[in-house]
Amino acid sequence: MDSRLLIENVVIPAIKVAVVLGVMSGAVAYTTLLERKVLGFIQLRLAPRRVGFHGILQPIADGIKLLLKEDIIPDQADRVLFILAPVISIIPAFAALAVIPFAGRSFSVMGYEITPWITDVNIGILYILSISSLGVYGIMLGGWASNSKYPLLGSLRSAAQMVSYEVPLGLAIIGPLLLAGTASMTGIVRAQETQGMWFFFPQIVALFCYFISGVAETNRIPFDLPEAEAELVAGYFTEYSGMKFAFFYLAEYTNMIVVSSIATTLFFGGWLRPFPNVQALSFLNFLDFINPALSGVFWFAFKVFMFLYLYIWIRGTFPRYRYDQLMNLGWKWLLPLSLANVVVTAFILALRHG
Amino acid sequence: MSVGTLVRRFFLVEMAQGMWITLKNHFRPHITMEYPRERPALAPRFRGVPRLRRDPGTAEELCVGCLLCEQICPDDCISIVVDKRPGGKGKMAKSFIIDYERCCFCGLCVDPCPTTPITAIYMSHDYELSDYSRQEFITQREALVDGHPLKRYAK
Ligand code: SF4
Ligand code: SF4
Repeated sequence: MDSRLLIENVVIPAIKVAVVLGVMSGAVAYTTLLERKVLGFIQLRLAPRRVGFHGILQPIADGIKLLLKEDIIPDQADRVLFILAPVISIIPAFAALAVIPFAGRSFSVMGYEITPWITDVNIGILYILSISSLGVYGIMLGGWASNSKYPLLGSLRSAAQMVSYEVPLGLAIIGPLLLAGTASMTGIVRAQETQGMWFFFPQIVALFCYFISGVAETNRIPFDLPEAEAELVAGYFTEYSGMKFAFFYLAEYTNMIVVSSIATTLFFGGWLRPFPNVQALSFLNFLDFINPALSGVFWFAFKVFMFLYLYIWIRGTFPRYRYDQLMNLGWKWLLPLSLANVVVTAFILALRHG
Repeated sequence: MSVGTLVRRFFLVEMAQGMWITLKNHFRPHITMEYPRERPALAPRFRGVPRLRRDPGTAEELCVGCLLCEQICPDDCISIVVDKRPGGKGKMAKSFIIDYERCCFCGLCVDPCPTTPITAIYMSHDYELSDYSRQEFITQREALVDGHPLKRYAK
């Protein structure tokens, strides 16, 4: 086989996967630190400060602690599924990152053209939806395999919640898809570039529905019923400890990043700087002098960071919903709202083009 | 439901208010005290572990072995053996033991103490008492008078 072909099709994708995995694991670790810091500020506390300067090494210390902890498997648990569940929940979370475009322009290294995304399939958003809904199996199996009542209740709640919120989530995504006319993640961002606006402006209702459903999908406060500490100890991962616990934790935070990345791509123009077609603002791509891809990555990361911050800010503000309130919100408010949004968007588009 | 409530509900006004409060909290000063490094200012009448002290003028041990503190202590944590004061009149405690593990910091032992100008037993300002074995809490006279070596947790 031609060596150039080999490098292009095997080596470069492998390196890209490794880089994305590495960077994302780091980002996830530091999201936990960010969360603890922001919650600390909200509650007038200081948050971790002992390990490293202002606690900057805290995630590493946490990782080491979790690695060294005793790994308990309950006597009556289903051993195979118990071990498999954290893995099942973390793999879809990371797999969803495969189609997310981190920057717009490709760059070349040693004569090879490298695109700043792992792959760009033309059904990118469908791929993410289908992959990320597999994550619920990890939670359900984890709760069931523990053979204990709180995990089981937690995973049942989780299943109901995920199924309910998958619907408005999917419907909310349709709005931007209609505007973009494509389901490819890069295509959506390029459509925002050619139309000269982020889809957040015409699709504010969709963004609202998407974000709330996203918070619910990732089981975050105020929708963290599957792991409600006050009622269910720790929900589906009550019986987990050590590295398996860390896997669930990582999966949750990776899912947060994935939801934020999708929101960034669909509604906030992915790698685009604010007002991508206003030439006067081109100084905003201040990393261009190194590499145009780099300023794309910067804007992407900045927007994702803003979403993560919003996530944590919401967590620090709102109390948990009651179970029936959760279902009410999902089925009676978000579903009609996102459905109406789809209808209105389609109607306006039909008028404009028809 | 009035129109006002409806509008407030629909536009999530309360939620926005909540977010605004937590946003403002970002910029308020923290109330955490980083304990081993910073220490709280103790009030003068703070009751730490009971200690013995010497006469501020003559540096002699003040305790006259009257056993009043031993009798009043509700937790029975003081035990005293009395002996003649060497080379002087009166008595003194040959051995004086306070079991800090049982002490409840009530301060009752200080009230009856008859010595002048100050009480021999007093409530000190030391409160850092963790240790590795129970034996360490049974404190002898030597440590009580000249200061129990306090563990310094700060670097
Ligand atoms: S403080 Fe109270 S409990 Fe402690 S030694 Fe004095 S009388 Fe006993
Ligand atoms: S009451 Fe005072 S003088 Fe009497 S035994 Fe106790 S410490 Fe000594």
